[in-house]
Amino acid sequence: MSDTAATLTQDRQKLEMAALSAPAVIFTVAMIAFPVVYTIWLGFQHFSSTGKQSFAGLANYSKLISDYEFWHGLWVTIALYVLSLVLQLVFGVWLALVLFHAKRLPGIVRSLFISPFMMPPVVAGMMWLVILDPSLGAANYILQSFGLPPSDWLASPSLVIPTVALIDSWQWTPYVALIVLGGLQSLPPSVYEAAQIDGASPFRTFQRITLPLLLPTIVTAAILRSVDLLRFFDIIYITTQGGPGNASNTLNIYGFRVGFEFFNIGYASALMLTLTAIVFGAVLAFNRLRGAVAW
Amino acid sequence: MKARMLATRLALPVFVIAAACAQAHAADFDWMKFKGKTVTFLANNNPVAQALLTYKADFEKLTGMTLKVDGYQEQQMRQRLVTVMNANSDEVDVFMTLPSREGEQFAAAGWYADLTAMAKNEVAKEYDPAGLSQALLKAATFSGKLTSMPMNIEGPIFYYRTDIFKKCGLAAPKTIKDVEVAAEKIKACDSAVTPFVSRGLKPAVAYTFSNMLHNIGGSYIASGKSNLCSTKGKEALDTYSRLLRDFGPPGVVNYSFQQISALYRSGRAAMAFESSNELRTVMEGGARLKDTGLLPFPAGEAGHVPTTIGWGIAVSSHSKQPEAAWYFVQWATSPEVQKKMALQGIAPPRPSVAKDPEYRKWIDEEPVRKEWQAALDVLATKGSSEVGYPIVANPQSREFIGQAVQDLILKQKTVDQACADADKALDALIALN
Repeated sequence: MSDTAATLTQDRQKLEMAALSAPAVIFTVAMIAFPVVYTIWLGFQHFSSTGKQSFAGLANYSKLISDYEFWHGLWVTIALYVLSLVLQLVFGVWLALVLFHAKRLPGIVRSLFISPFMMPPVVAGMMWLVILDPSLGAANYILQSFGLPPSDWLASPSLVIPTVALIDSWQWTPYVALIVLGGLQSLPPSVYEAAQIDGASPFRTFQRITLPLLLPTIVTAAILRSVDLLRFFDIIYITTQGGPGNASNTLNIYGFRVGFEFFNIGYASALMLTLTAIVFGAVLAFNRLRGAVAW
Repeated sequence: MKARMLATRLALPVFVIAAACAQAHAADFDWMKFKGKTVTFLANNNPVAQALLTYKADFEKLTGMTLKVDGYQEQQMRQRLVTVMNANSDEVDVFMTLPSREGEQFAAAGWYADLTAMAKNEVAKEYDPAGLSQALLKAATFSGKLTSMPMNIEGPIFYYRTDIFKKCGLAAPKTIKDVEVAAEKIKACDSAVTPFVSRGLKPAVAYTFSNMLHNIGGSYIASGKSNLCSTKGKEALDTYSRLLRDFGPPGVVNYSFQQISALYRSGRAAMAFESSNELRTVMEGGARLKDTGLLPFPAGEAGHVPTTIGWGIAVSSHSKQPEAAWYFVQWATSPEVQKKMALQGIAPPRPSVAKDPEYRKWIDEEPVRKEWQAALDVLATKGSSEVGYPIVANPQSREFIGQAVQDLILKQKTVDQACADADKALDALIALN
């Protein structure tokens, strides 16, 4: 076959491939692009409480600056995010190590430990709502049977964020552990053999070898959890609806209420786009960190 | 403007009655007129809709239409409705609505079809629109337009444990002061039970608090301004929050109907102020059947002004087949269907159904049902449908009422501070009206 004929065949193949994949690409782009573009457009609209719509320019965004609930929601979102992420990464790594070294019935142990994140968040929220009920729940019963004072848990403005963070960590720490476990299993055995020959203690081995080598995996887990945690919604909606008062009113909950309970879709869109920008910012920051810790 | 609105709201039920008496077209009415059509019903998956949909097949057989049910929990139903309505979509023909909550807002947004003409011209002989609760019809009438037909009648009522009251030497409370005295005595007499429980969850507070405010003689708005800092308003805020703070369960700020019913049903509350709809849930298992007394919420300085609301069933203004949709609305609110629903514990919005011998027999089976019906009769005759501020942004107004009550329960503000902050925020909402 001549060069020209070969080139023509290649070009035709490329064209065919492009034609075959085009519907899927167009569909995917449309499904992602349309809601985003529509939300951006909504963010520039003003919806009166009677549903009348008008162009608002940047008014929805300038309103954010003076909106106490927005800044409070941002603070709650970040506090919940940082607390939950730290808990899930610390305990996720610990759980991964436990699972990695589990000698007896490893399959059963792993299935048991990772089962919480298979539970729908709404079910998890309902379950913890019952357990943490200050009057009827098991949590206070256990505390009191050990002579400890009962707690208001989700009903206390000062405890609600740590409590929600604990619920989310109960559910998602096994997910982090599963990712870290994958990382642990891929670590080269040669470095551990060398450390053993040098007489390194288990703690020293963890500190100087395991943790640095696991960092890219941990950062990946952090990215995945960040996306979810910054959009925290379901468990809060089920357990507190943003209360008591507005103590657990995250940006996502606030946006939902503004949009679907107070029917101000324009301002809710501006809130949600701001939250999306924060999520993107966090992901980008972690991506840079992942580049820095790669080995 | 307000006077005109009031006049039209008062005039409409009269008009409906007159129209019903005329029923010029009743003789020509044909249930099969829209045979073959499909009506989509956006339903709240609550006991009212559940009871109604038990008879879905009857509607389809009667009309030859297909009823497509799109059922969600209350919040999700509204979420779906907002999406559909904002898109001017005809996906939903009929939807459930709470006129006391979103009526002003949905009416102002033009989401309700005007049922006035259909209720006049397209009614079956047996429909009897005049037999529906006039108070509820009035509550569903905005700017002279009838926006929904009542499906049930409900409101918060007072549940109390007769055995605990007897043990502590107490009589059934007649006034709000009696409730406070009873709570104090029960706290000393039986430390194992929570003396009093009602709603503390922020968005849910207005439902029960409104009854307290109105019984005390307070009002939400006076001279176009929020009135929570009036003497009566402050008294209502103080009394309601004090009862929950000093005599309520721990964590009451997260309590809505689910938690209240569970606490009372388990025997761990002596008094509960909760919806009449919760009777069935509270009586599940039968443990509270013989030791519960029911009353309208005890009187305040203004006597009994109970909160009376009802779910309504409305036709979407975007529906392309409003007349077929109306046939479903009419069937769902007909005396026959409402009687069947009443026998499942859904309080009927028709006095005629409440007097029906079969329904009376069901009521007479248990003393607690008799007390329930007696309380509902008071709700039907003396009730106010004002839950939160009577403004377009009613749902948002409930947030600020709830916030004020929670601030007091959690001792984060004084009564003066809480009412002043609420009034400031609510004045801004009223100004948008």
